[in-house]
Amino acid sequence: MSGLLQSPLLLVGWDFRQTPVELRERLAFSPEKGREGLTRLREQGLLSEGVIVSTCNRCEVYGLAGAAMADRDPIQTLTEFIADFHGIPRPELLSPGYSGTGGDAVRHLLRVAAGLESLALGEDQILGQVREGFRLATAAGATRSVLHRLFQKAIETGKRVRFETGLSSRPISIPGVAIELAQKIYEDLAPRKFLILGAGETSSIFYDLLLARGARNIEVVNRTLGRAEALCSRGGKAFPWEAMESRLAFADIIVSATSAATPVITLEAARAAVAQRRGQPLFFLDLGIPRNVEPRIAGLDNAFLYAVDDLQEIAERNRQERQKEIAPALEILEEEREEFLTWLGALAVVPTVTSLRQKFETIREAEFDQQLAKMTQIAEGDREKIRLMAQSMVRTLLRHPTSAIKDEPDPGRRLDRAEVVRHIFDLEIKLKD
Amino acid sequence: MGVIALVLYGGAETLSIAHLRRERPIYGTAASLTLMLGFLVHFGALSIAARAIHTVPYNDLPGSMSLFAWMLAASYSILLLRHREGSTGPFLIPLVILFLAVSLLSRGQAAVAAPKLMGPIFAWHVTLAIFGYAALTLSFVLALLYLIQIRQIQRRKLGLLFSRLPALDVLSRLHRTCVGTGVLALTVASCLGLVWAKQNWGTYWDPKVLFTFLIIAVYTLTLLPRKIGWGQKRIAYLSIGGFVLLMFSYTIVNLFISPEHIFR
Repeated sequence: MSGLLQSPLLLVGWDFRQTPVELRERLAFSPEKGREGLTRLREQGLLSEGVIVSTCNRCEVYGLAGAAMADRDPIQTLTEFIADFHGIPRPELLSPGYSGTGGDAVRHLLRVAAGLESLALGEDQILGQVREGFRLATAAGATRSVLHRLFQKAIETGKRVRFETGLSSRPISIPGVAIELAQKIYEDLAPRKFLILGAGETSSIFYDLLLARGARNIEVVNRTLGRAEALCSRGGKAFPWEAMESRLAFADIIVSATSAATPVITLEAARAAVAQRRGQPLFFLDLGIPRNVEPRIAGLDNAFLYAVDDLQEIAERNRQERQKEIAPALEILEEEREEFLTWLGALAVVPTVTSLRQKFETIREAEFDQQLAKMTQIAEGDREKIRLMAQSMVRTLLRHPTSAIKDEPDPGRRLDRAEVVRHIFDLEIKLKD
Repeated sequence: MGVIALVLYGGAETLSIAHLRRERPIYGTAASLTLMLGFLVHFGALSIAARAIHTVPYNDLPGSMSLFAWMLAASYSILLLRHREGSTGPFLIPLVILFLAVSLLSRGQAAVAAPKLMGPIFAWHVTLAIFGYAALTLSFVLALLYLIQIRQIQRRKLGLLFSRLPALDVLSRLHRTCVGTGVLALTVASCLGLVWAKQNWGTYWDPKVLFTFLIIAVYTLTLLPRKIGWGQKRIAYLSIGGFVLLMFSYTIVNLFISPEHIFR
């Protein structure tokens, strides 16, 4: 690929696999830092285009090598730049966690966007983070034809993988499984009534999750009322522990996450609540260890009970299902990668110039034959002179556009010009990687 | 044309199953389009039959079954267009295929309907009754899916259908809409039938009337779960019971019990 592409596509990155969290924190780019970093990379001529993808699990810099990289090791140079930029002593960052050029860099980005490189296989968040990195780089003026196309391709591929395979279809986290189950009982969670028992960390995670899902009716019951009130600071109502049994019937979904040693929701209390609801389903999510909800409640009509173990088992099963989807996802990735590399290859200078010449020659020959056929009085010797003259005209006409592409010192701009020429002359170039 | 419609319904069923298994939108779209095409061709077949006998083609059981199958496809199309709910397709389309196939296999020579069976009251009576049957058949499929979904959730066996089928409250809502529509159509059809019966037979009495009011009563109960304090699961069972009664009324009662509803 790099033979065709005179300015290689570069990638340097660090992720959770080989880089400890302390170092990842120092390598992280805030939006402001990212903009500054990209500006400096371009000002120093190290990259002609660049995009930074920075998340809590990874920091990656994608770029198109600039003129200043001509006689240097681009990976090493980029790594040193990042070390200096973050004030990390160079010996601490001897080499990137991983790096790649050309097709390898493309493959890696597509894998990242598809969620194949994520800690939780197939997770959705990364696609938004790739999109955000691309948006920030575009706003900073750091992307042009190549990275623009590459990141668009990555985002499209990420969507396609999620759409066409089951890689992201089933949740693999306990909260994710719990929410999916709740949504199979009540499709729209926003208008539903929730009762959270306990005000500890798990309750807090669920409270945030429910708020994020648009839940408006959340009640929290806790032994210490103050903690319940603190949890409800962003919405909802706090109740003292004594009110717990009376609130059961008013909830559609009950999340229990207390540290009680014995079940806090008894069969009798649940039966009374279910009876009061006159046939409306009641979903119990028991996240307490040991169990907070008496298991026999699962046998009640119109009551559904899932405990942590059940959720864990489902999450594990879903994880195994996702593993099976890796192969079809990789097929999509390779297809999209091939398409991008073909485009990139076609964008390279040599095939563009060749194709431009071929197109002009084809037009010249066709026109020449057509016109000369009508001029029967011209002698054969003169015909040859006219042919040579037409050839010379085409060469002269193409001299400036050709040199404008070939002699441009900035590699990124060179590719931009090739892209413009391909577009305005409608050049179809099919190349193999 | 009936055979072409049958083939198209078969294609729609195959694509619906493929969509259920793989959840590729292309299968879903293709299934919907094939079904709509089948629905139109089926309408063409019914129109030709109607022209031949100068009235709605329901004066024999095959004609009635074909109209029923078409109404069933119409009810499903409404569900598809209005609620974007295609997961019922693989379970409902087989019923469309079954009724149309039986209708095609048992069809004899079409005869012009007797004059007394050609007035507007009679036409509305039968058309609305068959539409009511179709809506209640759809509610039967939804009740069945409700029971499948609730069983998966309660037994913690979350298979393919769990992820593909809608939420319990959605199934319950759709079921209620179908039953409401079916009961309304059947009630109006029965009233029109009674008016027509009085004019033509001089009496309201016919065993079919008894069965129809029993069916209406059972389905009306399913619309009042909170009043009777029943959960949706029991309502689903009741609805299935109502459907058994409905099929009994449509076939056994029509063919062997009711002297006036028998197809001649």
